[in-house]
Amino acid sequence: MIRAVIAKDVGLLLRDRGALLSLFALPLVFILVFGSIFQEGPDRNEARPVAIWFAAGDARGAAIAGALAAAPGFAARTAGSPEEVRQLVATDAVAAGLVIDPDRDAAIELVIDLAAPLQARGPLEGALTAVVLRALVPAALRIEARSPPGRGPPRAQASAFQIAVPANAVLFGFFLALTVATSLGSERRTGVWRRLLAAPVLRGRVLVASLVPYFLIGIVQLGFLFGTGVLVFGMEVAGSVSALVAVSLALVYCAVSLGLLFASIGGSERQLGAFGSVVLLVMGILGGCMVPRALMPAEMQAIGLAVPHGWALDGYYDVLVRTGTGIAEVVPAVGALVGFGTVFAMFGVAWFRFEE
Amino acid sequence: MIRSSQPGVRLRGLGKDYGARTAVGSIDLDVERGECFALLGPNGAGKTTTISMLAGVVTPTRGWIEICGIELGSDPYAAKVKVGLVPQEIALYEELSALQNLRYFGALYGLRGATLAERIDQSLEVVGLRDRTREQVKTYSGGMKRRLNIAAGLLHRPQVLILDEPTVGVDPQSRNQIFSTVRALRDAGTTIVYSTHYMEEAEALCDRVAIMDAGKVIASGTVPELVAAHTRDEVIIELGGDPAAVAEASRAACAGGATLHGGSLLHIGPSSRGLGSVIGGIEQCGAVVVRIASHQATLENAFLALTGRALRDEP
Ligand SMILES: Nc1ncnc2c1ncn2[C@@H]1O[C@H](COP(=O)(O)OP(=O)(O)OP(=O)(O)O)[C@@H](O)[C@H]1O
Ligand SMILES: [Mg+2]
Repeated sequence: MIRAVIAKDVGLLLRDRGALLSLFALPLVFILVFGSIFQEGPDRNEARPVAIWFAAGDARGAAIAGALAAAPGFAARTAGSPEEVRQLVATDAVAAGLVIDPDRDAAIELVIDLAAPLQARGPLEGALTAVVLRALVPAALRIEARSPPGRGPPRAQASAFQIAVPANAVLFGFFLALTVATSLGSERRTGVWRRLLAAPVLRGRVLVASLVPYFLIGIVQLGFLFGTGVLVFGMEVAGSVSALVAVSLALVYCAVSLGLLFASIGGSERQLGAFGSVVLLVMGILGGCMVPRALMPAEMQAIGLAVPHGWALDGYYDVLVRTGTGIAEVVPAVGALVGFGTVFAMFGVAWFRFEE
Repeated sequence: MIRSSQPGVRLRGLGKDYGARTAVGSIDLDVERGECFALLGPNGAGKTTTISMLAGVVTPTRGWIEICGIELGSDPYAAKVKVGLVPQEIALYEELSALQNLRYFGALYGLRGATLAERIDQSLEVVGLRDRTREQVKTYSGGMKRRLNIAAGLLHRPQVLILDEPTVGVDPQSRNQIFSTVRALRDAGTTIVYSTHYMEEAEALCDRVAIMDAGKVIASGTVPELVAAHTRDEVIIELGGDPAAVAEASRAACAGGATLHGGSLLHIGPSSRGLGSVIGGIEQCGAVVVRIASHQATLENAFLALTGRALRDEP
């Protein structure tokens, strides 16, 4: 029977342009748009050009130039004169410039547009200061950043797609709940549900069997989105693939359970569609699918954990960005998603009306 | 008593309440094996509710149901296997093809593989749908959908087939096709419960009829029995002319067994004197026959007599 239900629901989904659009096409468009905007935005990953001038034979200048060349975020460009450095910055040919006075006691000149917004200038100024200090101060005065235990460091700075792919996978993955609820609603409307109840099958089995196909559809959806992320957008998976799969399975379980809960609340398909999309969008926003939770105020960050989306995104962030993330590291995320899902399912089953 | 002689359907004290509203009061019915039985009643009479309880779709508030000797409440699966339901709505996935629909509904009854394919073929054959079975149902005509709706209830060869208003909104050709499907199934020994608010359908198809109204069975029996018990052939003559002559003529007619209604309408039933002599008597008195109408003994009129209302609002 399960196979027949799957064949039926997949057949229905393939003919439902709206559902295909919202499950597969729309998230892809969002990923492409958001990923590209931030990839090309102020904190893009490409090295930023920095001009440098120092007098021939100046040891201090050579040390700083070496440190600059070794720094990951910068591309050094040696200028022929201090004036050229200033001109390059003035014409925006480089982001900033360093002019190293041959006098060891004189200050080093950092050429930078002081009127630029602090958000753009600050990190650049700080990073260049650190590069200069690294070249000059003894080891005892240096500071090196390290991730705490259990929080693996990234291989490189997190890319925009490592944020955009999971954010949209979670947001649109949960829209599966709407597909589940409206499909149960339409079976009631058309009277097909009566046929199911008339069949010699346990009612509970009828219900579970109608949910199974959506579990598979959800897995295909997430597989498609993350697969496209890796293959097309070059998204890195720094942690283990099994952890990625674990979070995804838990997410789909949670979404399908939420769909059952929606269906048990009842109402027409139209009402369900309107009410469900609003609820899912709000959950998505709170959970950090639109603006990462890390950028929200502390209270909002805490509220984000009241919805499954927040936990799912935390799990995905660890898996995608942190090296060394395995199953053990995503237990909180998986546990929370399974917990939410089970609560949704319990209320869904309790409230579900087999007969009108 | 051997099992096969058990009635196809037996209901005792069957009823359903929705909150404070009683949809079906308390019904007792026996439908014999191989019989075609009509549930006839106006909108809201409780036909669908009764049928849904029979098919195990709605849980009764009271009473019990036996299908071919098996009590539905105590052994629902054994009973449900024997029942085929054709819902009042087009209960199909319109986006899928006829074949996809039938494959799915067949699988619900545990059919698969070659058996399923064979049953699908046979069911489509019975309802006369052989073409376009791979096209989406939403491209079908109303009549084709209705026929497919019936086919979906036949796949597991039910001993009891329940059809809830199967001809609503179909063209005459499809209606005839559905009639011959029902007759063929009954001839093959299937017990049929057929709900409708069309008298003609009950008269044309069914051996016995239960007339339902407001959640109750108000009469049941064969069509001739119901007609004989609740209505009769009558000729109605409207008298005119000189009032004294009209009074005189009606007195004479009533003496011969006719009845007078509204001062000028004579109802002449089968027990009255012959029509010719009544008319002769009227003319002798100097009154005029303004109009003659015949009032036939039909199920429609039986319903009217029983409920004081017509079965449907539309003509
Ligand atoms: N799910 C329900 N909840 C509340 N009342 C209901 C429900 N189903 C039916 N009823 C009521 O029960 C009564 C009988 O309805 P039912 O559908 O059985 O009538 P019917 O004879 O099939 O009518 P129709 O010819 O219109 O199909 C109606 O008054 C209806 O409003
Ligand atoms: Mg009905």
